Amino acid sequence: MRNILLLVLSVLVISGCTKHREEVGAVLNVAEVAKIKGMDPALAEDQYSATEVSRVYEGLLQYHMYKRPYTVEPLLAEEMPQISKNGLEFKFKIRKGVMFQDDAAFPNGKGRELKAKDFIYSFKRLADPKVQSTGWWLLEGRIVGLDDWRAAATKSGKADYEAKVAGLEASDDYSLTIKLTKPVPQFLYALTMPYTAAVAQEVVEKYGSDFLNHPVGTGPFVMAVYKPTEVMEYVKNPNYWPATFPTEGAPGDKEAGLLDDAGKRLPLVDRVVVRVLVEDQPRWLHFMQGDIDAVGIPKDNYAQAIGPDGNLTAELKEKKVSLSKDVAMDLTYTAFNMESEEIPQFKNKLVRQALSLAMDERESIHTFYNDMATLSQTPIPPGIPGYDPDFKNIYRTNDIALAKKLLAQAGFADGKGFPTVVYDTLADTTSRQMAEYVTKNLQKIGVQTKVNTNTWPALLEKINHRQVQLWGIAWAADYPDAENFLQLFYGPNAQPGGMNGSYYKNKEFDKLFEKARAMQESPERTKLYRQLAQMVANDCPVVLGVNRIAVSLHQPWIKNWKYMEFMTNAAKYFRVDTDLKKQLRK
Amino acid sequence: MSSAPVEIEKLPKGNSLTKDAWRRLRRDKFAMFCLSIVLGYALVAVLTRLGLVAGTWSEQVGKSYSPPSAGSWHLWFGTDIFGRSVILKTIYGAYVSMTVGLLASLIAVPVGVVLGAAAGYYGGKIDDIITWLYTTISNIDPTLFILSLAFVLGKGMNSMCIALGSSAWVGICRLIRGEFLKHKEREYVQAAKSLGASDARRIFIHILPNVSHLVIINFSFLFISAIKTEVILSYLGLGVQGIPSWGTMIDEAKLELARGVWWQLAAATLAMFVVVLSLNIVGDALRDALDPKLK
Repeated sequence: MRNILLLVLSVLVISGCTKHREEVGAVLNVAEVAKIKGMDPALAEDQYSATEVSRVYEGLLQYHMYKRPYTVEPLLAEEMPQISKNGLEFKFKIRKGVMFQDDAAFPNGKGRELKAKDFIYSFKRLADPKVQSTGWWLLEGRIVGLDDWRAAATKSGKADYEAKVAGLEASDDYSLTIKLTKPVPQFLYALTMPYTAAVAQEVVEKYGSDFLNHPVGTGPFVMAVYKPTEVMEYVKNPNYWPATFPTEGAPGDKEAGLLDDAGKRLPLVDRVVVRVLVEDQPRWLHFMQGDIDAVGIPKDNYAQAIGPDGNLTAELKEKKVSLSKDVAMDLTYTAFNMESEEIPQFKNKLVRQALSLAMDERESIHTFYNDMATLSQTPIPPGIPGYDPDFKNIYRTNDIALAKKLLAQAGFADGKGFPTVVYDTLADTTSRQMAEYVTKNLQKIGVQTKVNTNTWPALLEKINHRQVQLWGIAWAADYPDAENFLQLFYGPNAQPGGMNGSYYKNKEFDKLFEKARAMQESPERTKLYRQLAQMVANDCPVVLGVNRIAVSLHQPWIKNWKYMEFMTNAAKYFRVDTDLKKQLRK
Repeated sequence: MSSAPVEIEKLPKGNSLTKDAWRRLRRDKFAMFCLSIVLGYALVAVLTRLGLVAGTWSEQVGKSYSPPSAGSWHLWFGTDIFGRSVILKTIYGAYVSMTVGLLASLIAVPVGVVLGAAAGYYGGKIDDIITWLYTTISNIDPTLFILSLAFVLGKGMNSMCIALGSSAWVGICRLIRGEFLKHKEREYVQAAKSLGASDARRIFIHILPNVSHLVIINFSFLFISAIKTEVILSYLGLGVQGIPSWGTMIDEAKLELARGVWWQLAAATLAMFVVVLSLNIVGDALRDALDPKLK
């Protein structure tokens, strides 16, 4: 009951306060949908913290904002690295004249120039056991000598940052050489992630454990207000190196006016205000009031935003709001625990195939995703090499007759004798509705389920400890490489804490996967990826779900807006048309 | 001087307390109406339990989110996200609520009465221990206490009844303890004692009937709070799993309201409002009827 009252009140409060706000300069207003854990790059594990971290910090590389498919380009590196023939040595030239933001940690409070050794320090920090970085997996076992350095630090209890690591070398202030232990084609992607951004040793040492709240980087914005559960404000970095707006983009970007600011100095806005708005409704209402500039559409506000024809409703058209629909690189799936003691039947391929056939994802696309999703045929989503638009998975056809036949072949005609399956999910409303939907689908072939709801950390814990039988989850790409999705089914990842929660073990798959992931992008590799994806489609270690389409809205005064799956520092490219905003908000 | 011997047989026969209370309760027309509503809910719960009504709640009867319509009674309150009848879900929710209310009260009342009686009657160390126990439990916020119990016992209807029962006995225990402290010094108890009645006889045969009206009144209020707590727990996702409940219906409505779907909220709150109000009025009327001072 109280919830309803609060909702009514919040409407009043919002409409009450908008009239008094006066903005100076060009301000970008955005919303973050989760609380921020902190501003330390080494701990930026979730998308939301990573987004905030990358407003202040920068790494060697980044994804090109407008080119598609996603391509990697230099950021703090002068140019793309020279890679040795055997793929083991990466030679970087560091950009000259890049300054750290002013901070009391530096002499006279003036930021100093970025040097190659800062990257060596930052990488070692990821390996420092005391830091407990959640990004260590990016470098683990990959850089010559870094694992030994970590082992020595663990042993002595204190990391020695002066000790040399053979695989990290700075011959002068602007040259950095990284030596790998084995060829890892995905390594360049690792260098775009906020984890590998440059931090200054002076700043880390001055603030100690409070470094989490004191971001000092080389990035386009300087943090001004930091209330991680409410609001964060950033101002333009006056000493930002002369980064400029890109002159190239994907076909059609120029015509769409996305490159109108080509060549201009970045960033294009004076301030960024980030509000933390966890609940759907307040966030949506803020957007409708024009207080925030971009928003995803909550499932239940869909009808208010998009009409039956798939276009914006008159209300939003009148507000001149823009709609964008982009295929997100993610995959939802329902996983079987193939080593479940309670349901040993999940070891049987016929059983898994039958359950996969029983699950009708087409109706759920309508009910839960407002038709903004496509049925996935293999674990590789569209937009990534290895995705095969022509492949049709027969176990995703919802052929109930075939499902019953396969289940009978496995010895469970009409589900008789099949144990009741526990389906684990989250406790929120939509998750529970989805669980009811799973129950309903499996009943069609006589398989009974019992639903168990959990908190998000509790569910992950259960999966890690193999205390689940059947559960729903999704995976979002870390980088645009099918390896990132196929590793979900890689045998050695089938361990507590590993990503292969299904405990799918297939020697043939593992062998091919190991071969494919060490290859540079090529038609041969794409062929291997497709082969691997079809193996998963056929063996059904999971019931494949959907690939979602990210539907978002942005205000008419936001220019240069484009959906970006990975790069988290897009704010520097956005321009706010302040005159238009004033005019429209009158 | 002679006087006629008193003819004992001709004395008017006194009414027992219960009979008297029932007579007075019957005079209160509105309370009787409310009692019949509560009994109606109980009947629906029993029929649901036997599978005679609402057994088909999980079947699709219309399109997703059809608004209420006058046609088939299944559609009087429209349909939910999967096109299931909201009215059948509400009926099933009544079964869940009545069951939880009854079971939780059946756990809480005996525990509260026995501990309260022991504490009040024996005093001393036993009183100290029991007082310490209920003071400790009553100091924990009841929702948090039930939440943590729900996590330990797992989720579902049974564990919810246990969780509710094991936290709700405090009030009745405190009340019964006070009454026993008072009654054990009364003449009738002293008389029983001098006639050689045992402790158990004095507690259960002599004192308890004299405080039983409190138990009955408290039972009806415990029932109400159990129903409300069930709804809150289910709303938070810690209550019943996989079957409809008023709490989960209100939880779903939280999102549906944004798209103008109000009927799940209306059905669940209306059902809850009627039964809680009726139980309250019945409880009040019972208190009046059973109170010897208001005779």
